[in-house]
This record gives sequence, C-alpha cells and structure tokens, in this order.
Amino acid sequence: MDRAGAGAPHIRAAMKSYVARRVAWAVLTFFGITVVVFALIHSVPGDPISFFIGRAGSATLSRPALEQIRRTHHLDQPLIVQYGWWLKGVVTLDFGTSILDGRPVVARIAEKLPNTFLLNLIAFLIAAAIGIPVGLWSAQKPGRLFDRGSAVAFFLLYSLPSFWVALLLMKFFAVKLNLLPLFGMTSDDYLEYSATGQIVDRIRHMVLPVTCLAYSQLAIFARFSRSAATDVIRQDFITTARAKGAGTGAVLWHHAFRNALIPIISLLGLTVPYLISGSVIVEQIFQWDGIGHLYFESILGRDYPVIMALSVATAVMTLFASLAADVLYAFADPRIRVGEAR
Amino acid sequence: MKSTALFTPVWRRFRRSRLALAALVYIAIVSVIAMFAPMFAPLPPNDTDLAARLQPPSAAHRLGTDDLGRDVLSRMIHGARVSLTIGFTATALSLIVGSLLGALAGYYGGAIDWFVSRLIEVVLCFPFLFLVLGIVALFRPSMETLMIALGLTSWTTEARFIRGEFLRIRELEFAQAARASGARDARIIFRHLMPNALAPVLVSASFGVAAAILTESALSFLGVGVPVPTASWGSILAAAQENIDYAWWMVVFPGLAIFLTVAAFNVIGDRFRDALDPRFE
Repeated sequence: MDRAGAGAPHIRAAMKSYVARRVAWAVLTFFGITVVVFALIHSVPGDPISFFIGRAGSATLSRPALEQIRRTHHLDQPLIVQYGWWLKGVVTLDFGTSILDGRPVVARIAEKLPNTFLLNLIAFLIAAAIGIPVGLWSAQKPGRLFDRGSAVAFFLLYSLPSFWVALLLMKFFAVKLNLLPLFGMTSDDYLEYSATGQIVDRIRHMVLPVTCLAYSQLAIFARFSRSAATDVIRQDFITTARAKGAGTGAVLWHHAFRNALIPIISLLGLTVPYLISGSVIVEQIFQWDGIGHLYFESILGRDYPVIMALSVATAVMTLFASLAADVLYAFADPRIRVGEAR
Repeated sequence: MKSTALFTPVWRRFRRSRLALAALVYIAIVSVIAMFAPMFAPLPPNDTDLAARLQPPSAAHRLGTDDLGRDVLSRMIHGARVSLTIGFTATALSLIVGSLLGALAGYYGGAIDWFVSRLIEVVLCFPFLFLVLGIVALFRPSMETLMIALGLTSWTTEARFIRGEFLRIRELEFAQAARASGARDARIIFRHLMPNALAPVLVSASFGVAAAILTESALSFLGVGVPVPTASWGSILAAAQENIDYAWWMVVFPGLAIFLTVAAFNVIGDRFRDALDPRFE
C-alpha cells in the first residue's frame, strides 16, 4: 500500500531481485513436476507402448509394426532419454495425440479449458464475495454470537462432501421441484432458443455445479479472512487509532481491513489446486464438459498422453497461481521483500 | 509418563468445548461399531434380495434397501469399517513419511533440507484429488492402493510442521546437552526432539483422517475407490445417483455418515489446535 516507497529505486531493485528469485524457484519446481509425472506414469505396470497406442492397438498390430512404433517414440532408448524427448514436447506444448480419439492432446484440453474456467471463476468470485465480508465481520466482535455461530457453520460447510451436496441439490431442485436441469451444460433443444433464451439456459445449468464448487471455498475464505483480520486488530497501530478517538467502524474499515486483505492474496494460490480437485467431482456428477471430466475419462480409458498433459497442466496452473500470489503479496506488503522470503 | 505434564492442561482446555467432546464420543461409537461390524449389522452387507429392491425405511430394513435389495444400514456399518481403516492407515502412513522427512530436513539442514523442501513444493502443486485419482485408478483400485496413494501424497503438512519444529528446537539446551553427552543422531532425533515436535503434528493428523475419509468416499463414489461389491459410503451414494428419482434414503443416510465423520475429525483437530495454543484463550 506504500505507493511512495514502492517508487524508490532501492526498493524497486529489491522487488526485481525478489521476483527474479521467485521465478527461478518456479522454473525449478516445474522440472520437479515433470519428473514426478514421468516417473509416476512409467511406474504403472504394463508395456510402455500402451502410452502411445492403447491396449487394443498393441494386440492387433504386427510385430514389425510395433517395433516401428517403439522406434518412433524412442521406447528403445534408456528411460532418461525418453524423459528428455517427452520434456522437449512439454516445453514446446506438444503432448502427442490422444489414444481415444487420435486428435492432438493440446487441442482437446484447449477446447475443454474454457468450460472449467468459467465455472470455477464464477464459484471463486461468489465464494470471495460472501466469505471475505463475513470473515471480516465476525473478526470485528470475536466471541460474539455471530462470530461463534458463523465459525461453526463454516466448519460444517467445509466438512460437507461436495458429491453429497450435489446429489441433495439434484434431488431437491431438479427432481422434486423440477426447477433446474439435472445435469449437462445446455438443454437438448438449446439451438432452437432465442439469444436470451440460450443465455438463461446456460445459467440455469450452471447454478447447481457453481453452488457445489463455491460453498466449501466460501468457508475457507471466511475462516482465513477472519484470522487475518483478528491478527491485524491485535496490533499496536489499531490500538493507537482507537486511542486517538477514531470510531470503531472507521478504525476497522480504514486501518484493519485494508491490511487484513493482504494475507488473503495468498489464498489465491491456495485455492487453485482445491478448485481443480473439486472440478473432477462436480464435472463428473453434472456431466460438465471440462478438464475434470476429460481427466476422469482419460484415466478410465488409459489415455496416457492426455493424463500426463493434464497432470502437468494442472500442476503448472497451481504453480502460476502461487507465483502470482507471492509477487502480488510482495507488492502489497513491502516487508516481505526485506526479510528472506521462504 | 512424562507426557502427562504436557497433555493435562491441553486436555483441560480441549474438554471445555462441548462440540469437541461430542465429536470425540461420536468417533468412539463409530469406531466400536466399525470394529465389530458383523455383530452390529442386522444383515450381511452383500446379501441381495431382489424381491425387496429399493424399499424405503421400514421395520425390516431400518434405512431401506438399495437397487439390489441389500440392506442399506448393514452396508453403512460395514462401510464405516472401510472408511475408518483407510482413514487411520493412510494418515499413519503420511505421519511416518512426513515426520521422517521433516525430521531429517530440520535436523541436518543443508542439502537434505533443500531436497525435502523442493519435494514438498512440487507435491503441493498437484491438485490432491487429481493425483490420488490417477495413482489409484492406474495402478489397481483396492483398499491397499488407496491407503498407499493417500499416505504418499498427503505427508507434506506433517513434514513442514516437523521441519519447522526441529529447526526451532534443535539448538535448544536439552538438544545440545544430548549432543554433548555423546548421543548418536538417531537417538537425539527420536528420543529427544521428536516427542517435543509431535503435538502440533497430531492436529494435522486429525485433519488428515478427515481428508482421507473424504477422498476415499469421493473416489468410491466415482467408481475408482474401494472395488465393488465391498460396501463403502461412497459406493452406496454412487448407487443412489442412479436411482435419484425416488430412493432418497440412499442419498441421505450414507452422505450424513460421511459428513458427520469428516466434521467430527475436523472439529477435534481444530479444538485440539486451540487447546495446544493458549494464546487463543
């Protein structure tokens, strides 16, 4: 928040070196991710040729044809060389072709990604819009009924299994009341609707999956922002502001909450893997055509190129999110750059 | 036991929360039922009765029957066994892996610490359910695979805790005294440092059991967890989804069991953490 300070040359230099250091770590972590994915997949029992042609293919093809495939995919070379070839593909965004439908893996992921992104973005915004104010509000008067009540409520919310909530919502809103569609992204007669009708139809299909993704995150946001605000309220400058006669509301909004928002930035990095995990379940239940659904189908169909690509992609998304959160955090709170950050 | 001195005030603070005590009693009851599942279950969990398919709760079937005419209550009681076994074993495994790696990193520092810390960063990048789902389904869905996959992916919290505690306490006087008296590293780590670092880790173990049970039931719900026909809370819910039009009892009861058990472990972990840290008073 210290705008004047952030402009000073020595602070800018410190910032630069912090970001550079953080990016270097991220690159290292990226290589770690690729090693883990490669090692895990290659420790799955079975002939690695199935990574490229599937089980059906290896049963029907002739021996010379199989040898040919082994050579083109470098399977006749040592594992470390195979890793090198695969890594080269990863860096150039070439994950090969899907075993299930023969199309490039990157194209398959790219067409599903927007669906997942849209669902998660809406869920994220709703969770933040409700969770953060409630968390800040309950920090204002710790121990009061609202604080204790909301703490327990969010705790229970956090423990609710999303697939159960999904079933209950489906049972109630789709089966019993027949208000919302049971699953899918659009109705069967979607194309016959008018433009507004299509938008309404899409929103109606989103309500239940978004609810399932949002509620447990909301609990995380609320708990996190409550503890962030509580930490700030205990600090000396709040006492000083109070002592100088500032009203309670003014102290909270001008001094406490602005500072409490800073640690909430780090939630950005923390919630991304959580959201992606949730997408697998929610997209599967609601037949939402996103990457969680794609991942599940690829696992069942042993579509190794897609599995490896999605594993790397989701881990890299998390990596990016935590990198972005750390950098944002450093901009918002200059103290982090002075100390040895992690 | 010298640990009594540490745990008495903690227990006194923990006891003050009625919610936490209720959770503890609930877990105790469910554990006993799970341990003696065949004695508590009114019927064998896999006995099918096609004449009594999808029956609502009645005197004969307290929580109704599923699509194959199996008694839902009996399946839930046996499912408790599956969930708790996987939850506890997976957490024990992650506790062992996590505290060992964390202890090595915190005690020796240097290259070992660097490597363990980087490994934690890498593992944390993978969305938990993605990773576990992939490992379980690609290797062979079974209870053992589930426990190993859960244990080997969730040790990072424990490792970070233990590492931090070891960094803090390894230079304290009692550790220096042990070193000066010529104790070997293994003895210092396990006899002197570990008992002092373990308490906060038990908090994360309680959350860990909750997460393991939640993940197991999610995977079983998706059909890649505990293989059928073994009864598990998640697989009853999976059958419920196929019959969602009418069989509300298959949706409500197993889900409630998962929810209460997960919530109980989370509450215990939360209140235990508060009890360990008197600042929250």
